[in-house]
Amino acid sequence: MTTIQLPSPGAMPDTIEARPASDNYLTHTRGILSWIFTLDHKRIGVMYMWSVLGSFLLGGTFALLLRTELLTPGPTITESADTYNQWFTLHGAIMVFLVIIPSIPAALGNIILPIMLGAKDVAFPRLNLFSYYLWVTGAVLCVVSLAMGGFDTGWTFYTPYSTTTTAGGVIPVLTAAFVLGFSSIFTGLNFIVTVHKLRPPGMTWFRMPLFLWAIYATAIIQVLATPVLGITLLLLIVERTVNIGIFNPSMGGDPVLYQHFFWFYSHPAVYIMILPAMGIISEIIAINSHRAIFGYRLIAFSSIAIAFFSFIVWGHHMFTSGQSALMNTLFSAISFSVAIPSAVKVFNWIATLYKGSVSLTTPMWYALAFLFLFTIGGLTGLHLATLSTDVHLHDTYFVVAHFHYVMMGSALIGMIGGLHHWWPKIFGRMYDERLGTIACWIIFIGFNVTFFTQFMLGSQGMPRRYYDYQPEFQIYHVISTIGSYIMAVGFTLTAISLFGSFFNGKKAPANPWGGRSLEWQCASPPPFDNFAKAPRVGDCYDFSVVHWDPKLGGYRVDESNDPEVNPAAQGTKAAH
Amino acid sequence: MSMTHQILAHTVSQVSALAAFAQTGAAEPTAPTFWMPVGASTISQGVDHTLDVINWICYVFFALVVGLMVWFVVKYRHRTGDKFRTDYPSHNTPLEITWSVIPTIIVIGIFVVGFRSYLDIYTAPKNAFDIKVTAQKWAWSFQYPNGAVSDDLYIPAGRPVRLVLRSSDVLHSLYIPDFRVKRDIVPGRYTYAWFQCDFPTGQPGKTPRDPNAKTVSGPEDDAQAHTLFCTEYCGTGHSKMNRYVYVLDEASFGQWMTDQSQWMDKIPEEELYFKAGPKIFARCQQCHSLDGTVGIGPSWKGIIERVKAYPIVGDGKEYGTWEDYVRTSILVPGKYVVPTYGNVMPSFKGQLNDKAIDAVLGYMQQLEKFDTKTGKLKAEFDPATGMKK
Repeated sequence: MTTIQLPSPGAMPDTIEARPASDNYLTHTRGILSWIFTLDHKRIGVMYMWSVLGSFLLGGTFALLLRTELLTPGPTITESADTYNQWFTLHGAIMVFLVIIPSIPAALGNIILPIMLGAKDVAFPRLNLFSYYLWVTGAVLCVVSLAMGGFDTGWTFYTPYSTTTTAGGVIPVLTAAFVLGFSSIFTGLNFIVTVHKLRPPGMTWFRMPLFLWAIYATAIIQVLATPVLGITLLLLIVERTVNIGIFNPSMGGDPVLYQHFFWFYSHPAVYIMILPAMGIISEIIAINSHRAIFGYRLIAFSSIAIAFFSFIVWGHHMFTSGQSALMNTLFSAISFSVAIPSAVKVFNWIATLYKGSVSLTTPMWYALAFLFLFTIGGLTGLHLATLSTDVHLHDTYFVVAHFHYVMMGSALIGMIGGLHHWWPKIFGRMYDERLGTIACWIIFIGFNVTFFTQFMLGSQGMPRRYYDYQPEFQIYHVISTIGSYIMAVGFTLTAISLFGSFFNGKKAPANPWGGRSLEWQCASPPPFDNFAKAPRVGDCYDFSVVHWDPKLGGYRVDESNDPEVNPAAQGTKAAH
Repeated sequence: MSMTHQILAHTVSQVSALAAFAQTGAAEPTAPTFWMPVGASTISQGVDHTLDVINWICYVFFALVVGLMVWFVVKYRHRTGDKFRTDYPSHNTPLEITWSVIPTIIVIGIFVVGFRSYLDIYTAPKNAFDIKVTAQKWAWSFQYPNGAVSDDLYIPAGRPVRLVLRSSDVLHSLYIPDFRVKRDIVPGRYTYAWFQCDFPTGQPGKTPRDPNAKTVSGPEDDAQAHTLFCTEYCGTGHSKMNRYVYVLDEASFGQWMTDQSQWMDKIPEEELYFKAGPKIFARCQQCHSLDGTVGIGPSWKGIIERVKAYPIVGDGKEYGTWEDYVRTSILVPGKYVVPTYGNVMPSFKGQLNDKAIDAVLGYMQQLEKFDTKTGKLKAEFDPATGMKK
C-alpha cells in the first residue's frame, strides 16, 4: 500500500503520536487567548457558530416583537410606527447578513469542509480568522448604528428613502453590511482554493461529498456577487454623506438603478443561503437512508446550474418597478429556469429514499421537514415568477411567506438539521434525540401555522411592512402570531436538547449515523489536526462497507473488502 | 423532439384557449375565494385564472412529492442494527431526463399563460380616461382633467382608466387588490397603471375620514368601495397610506367631478376657514397636530406666535409676515425647516391654490373653534355660519 502524503497548510509540528487519546481540538490548548488567536478551522467555525446562533436569538426576538405587534390592528405593544419599522428592518438585516448568509458556509462549512477533504485546515487559515473578525466588526457596527439612532430603511435600503431618512444609524449599518460582505468574500475565496488545492489523492471532483459541491457553488457566488453589493452600498454612503447624485432623482440619480445593483447581488445571495442547505440535506438523506444518493451527478450539476442561473434572474424583483415590458418578459422566462434544477434536486432526494434503509434520526426529521417546506417554498416561486400573478402578489405577505419558506423553512431548517447532524462530531456529545425530534416537530408545525397563513394574507391583498392594517386581516395575523409562539417553544426545546448534551449527553462515537465521508473517520471531537494518519478516500456514498457496531454505539467502516481503498481485496469483490 | 414539440404546442394552445375563455365579460364582480379577494376589474378574471392554473400544478406536485416521501419513509423504515437494503438503483438516466423535461414543459406553459394575461395588464387602451396621481409621504392626491382634486380615487364605471403616477418624494406603489393592479411610483419618472371596472360601488357620504383614528377605518356609508394601498415601504405613515376607490356610473361621475372641482369656489371668502379648512387639514393631520403634540412636523397649536417669534420673520427679514412664512412652508417646505424636525414635508404646489392657502391661514387663526382630535368644528359652533350657536 502506498502512503498518501497530505498537504498540510497548518504546518504544525508532527507530534501526534506523543499526544494522549483524549486530546482534541477543544482541549488541545487552553485559555481564552488560544481561542481568540486560533488559526484552527474548527475553532473558528465554532466561534462563528456561537456568534451566528446569538444573532439568531436576537433576530428571532425582533420577529416575536413584530408578530406580537401585529396581533391587533393599530397599536398593540408600541405606539410608534417608527419603532415597528426599525424592528422589521433589524429583523431582516440581522437574519440576512448576520445569520443566514454566514450560518452554513462560515460556521458548519468551516468545521466540516477541511475534514471532509481529509485536510488539516483550510488553504488560508489566517484569512479565515480575518474573515471572522470582519464578521465581528460588522456585528459591532450594527450595534453602533443602533446606538446612533437605528435605521428604518428595510433591509433592502431602497433609495431615495434610505438616503433621505432622518434615522441616525443608516451609515454605520451600510458600513456593517459592506464589511460583512468582505467577510463573506474571503470565506468564499478560502473555500474555492481549499476545494481546488487540498483535495486528497483519490478524491476526484465527482468523488466529493455533495456538501462540498454545494459549498463550492456557494463560494463562487459569494466571490462574484458580493463585490457588487459592496460597491452599491459604498455609492449609497457617498450619496448620503457628500450628496453626489447617483440614485436620488432630485440630484439627477435614478432609484431604479439602485434596485438593479442591489438585486444583482441579493438575488444570488438567496442561493448563497439555500445551496449549502441543499448540500446538508443531500448528506443527511443519503447517510440516513444508508444507500448511494440517487443521481449524484445530476445533483452536483444542478448546484452549479442554480449558481449560474442565480446571476441572470434578478429583474424578477422589479416586475412592477416601471422596468420595460420586454425586460419583465425576459426575466420572467429566465426565472422559471431556476425551477428546473431545484425540482430535479427534490426528485433525486425523494428517489434516494426509495429502497433505502431509512433511519429516522433527529437530523433526518429535519431533512424531511426541509423537503416538505422547500417544496412549498419552491412551488410558490412559480406564482411570483409569472408576470400577471406577480403584479398582484408583489410586496404583499405572499412574498413574505414565500421567502420565509425558502430562507427560514429551507435554509435555516437545513442549518439546524446540519447542526444536529454534526453536533456529535463537533462537541463529542450525543444530544437527547427524543427531545430533538419533538422540538423539530414543534418547529415544523409552528412554522407552517405562521407562514402558510401569510400566503392567504398576501393573496387577499395585505401589503408587507405594515404597522397597521384593515380589521378584516386580523384573523390571519392572530393565527400567524400564534404560530410564531409555537416556533419559539420549538427552538427553546432545541436549545435545551443541544446544550443539555454538554451536561448529560453520552459520549459520541466517531460515526453515530453511519456516514462514509471522511469526517466520520476521525474521532469525535476531531483531534487538533484532524487525522492521525492520512485517511483513505473511498466512495463516500457507498454504504455497503458501513456496519453497525453495538460495542461502539455507532457505525464502523470496514474497508478491507473495498477494492477502491484496498487493492488486495479486488478478487473478493469481483467474485461477489 | 417533434413529439415533444407537438405536445408542447397542444398544451399551450389548450391553456391559451382556457385563458381567453376566462377573460370574457362577467355580470358582477367575482366573489372572494379562499385565495383571492373580490375581482372587480376586467383583468381580474384572467389573473385569477392564471393563479388557479398554477395552484393546481402546485397541489399536484406537492401531493406527489410529500406523498412519495411519506410512503418511502414508512415502507423503507430501518431500525438500528438491521441489515441495510442493497437492491437500490444508484441512478436511472431515462427517469432523470423525464423528470427534468416534464417540469420544463410545465413552466413554459405557465410562462405563456402569465405572459398573455400580463399583456392585458400592461397595455392601456387608447381611449382611456386619464387621472393624474401624486403620491407623497403619506397621502395620495388624484387630479382629474377638469381640475378637480380628491384624496380618494373616483373612477367612471365601464371605461378604461389610466393613472399617470408620480411621486414627490420617495418610492411608493399603488395597489388595488380588487383590481389586481399594482405599479411602483418612482420619483423623477412617470409610470402608468390602467384598469377598467364595470361595477359601480356607490358614493361615500360627505364626511371626510378621520385620519387620527387609532386604526384604519372602513369606507363610510356602506359604499362597497375598493381599497387602495401603498405597497412600497415609505416610512412612518406607510401603513396608513391607504384610501378608497369609488366607482360611479358615467352620469354620477361627471356630476361628482364638476362638484369636486368647484367645491371651494362656492364658499365665500369669510367662510373658507371652517368650511374648507377642516377638509384641507385632514391631509396635514398625519404630521401636524392641533393640541401641541409633537408629530413628524410641528404642531399648529400656537403656530402664529411661534412663527412671529422666529428671527427670520419681520421687517427687513426674509419673510415680511407670518402668512408669508406659512405660505412658503406649504409651497417650498425645505426653505426653512424648524430645528429638530427633518426636512421631510412634500411640496403642495399645484395641489393647494391661493384660496386653499387662505383657508389654511384662516383655520390657523381660529384654531380654538376646532376639535383638536378630529380637526372639525366643535359642536357648540354652527356649521352654517361658524358662529357660536
